[in-house]
Amino acid sequence: MAFVRHPSLGLSTRLLLSRATGTPSVTLVSLRHLSTSRRTLQAQPTHSTRDSPTHAKSPRLETGVYSARDEPGKYVNPYEGGPSALEKAAHLFFFTEIVRGMWLVLEQFFRPPYTIMYPFEKGPLSPRFRGEHALRRYPSGEERCIACKLCEAICPAQAITIESEARLDGSRRTTKYDIDMTKCIYCGFCQEACPVDAIVETQNQEFSTETREELLYNKEKLLAIGDRAEAEIAANLHADHVYR
Amino acid sequence: MPSLARYIRGIRAVGLKEWWHQMQYIGDVKAGTFVGSDQFGNRYFENLNPEQEVPGRHRWVDFAQHDLNASQVPAEWHAWLSHIRREPPPQDVIMQNSTPSWKAPWVENLTGTRGAYRPYNTVKPKIEAWQPKVAQRGTPLQ
Repeated sequence: MAFVRHPSLGLSTRLLLSRATGTPSVTLVSLRHLSTSRRTLQAQPTHSTRDSPTHAKSPRLETGVYSARDEPGKYVNPYEGGPSALEKAAHLFFFTEIVRGMWLVLEQFFRPPYTIMYPFEKGPLSPRFRGEHALRRYPSGEERCIACKLCEAICPAQAITIESEARLDGSRRTTKYDIDMTKCIYCGFCQEACPVDAIVETQNQEFSTETREELLYNKEKLLAIGDRAEAEIAANLHADHVYR
Repeated sequence: MPSLARYIRGIRAVGLKEWWHQMQYIGDVKAGTFVGSDQFGNRYFENLNPEQEVPGRHRWVDFAQHDLNASQVPAEWHAWLSHIRREPPPQDVIMQNSTPSWKAPWVENLTGTRGAYRPYNTVKPKIEAWQPKVAQRGTPLQ
């Protein structure tokens, strides 16, 4: 494995890189003092002369090899450019960080809230969002499910119960398609397993009930959900079909 | 952005009656363009100006009923309100083309009412209670 033998590749590069960037940044160290923390909450990266800061690419191969061993005896004053001892003592004894913290809280009071007023406004959902289940139909109105029981087999919570029978025209259909929504973990494996896109999870998440038994869905309930939400289901499948 | 200037501008934009109505329901004055209304009379609005509305609060619904419920929004408008679809359903060609002729009317979540769903078995039960069959008696002996 050339990966391990080459010193400038793999894990060793990262270790050397972190050490090299850690040593010369004196301002970074002093910024992290609690007593002297500036109002800028993040430390600015120190610009190295070796890689240009204009484009953020991964550093070149010889970049990470540079370490303190290359400049032996070099004295780095860790307090250079930082605050004086008097300044630090003043911050320490006058509890300025408490005042600064309270000022931060006061600033938040005047900032606009980002609360989404829920029933009127809603946060964004994905077309792949997995909510309440539905059984779909073909555009002709024929139900899609062919009782292959793949969803029942793959369901990790074993929430689906299927019984099938031959219909009068000879086609195999389910007579019982129950989903225990209290067991369901909304993993979406059923809609992944379905070969005919019959069982899908709609984007509806507002199906909470007052009693537990209302969450034991049977086939007619699932078909009814599919019948009234078919436009949204089909539009979402269409929006997502290029990624399938 | 919520501020006093925005509040006053909102009142001037929507009018006093609408301002009172919004304060009773949304609890904030929101002015925007009317996008459409669904079959129940819920009205949908949009304001894409980030100076006037915080991004994420730019689409909202004004419910027709006083006893409002999030599930009163039908599926097509739910997709628009949840930012799943960009165009509202009257302008969404894909949504209109995928609407089947057998689409059922939207029903809100009826839990807690008499119309709530009660689960039932869709097949013949496998275990049945014993029904005693009384043999025919009293037949005259030959």
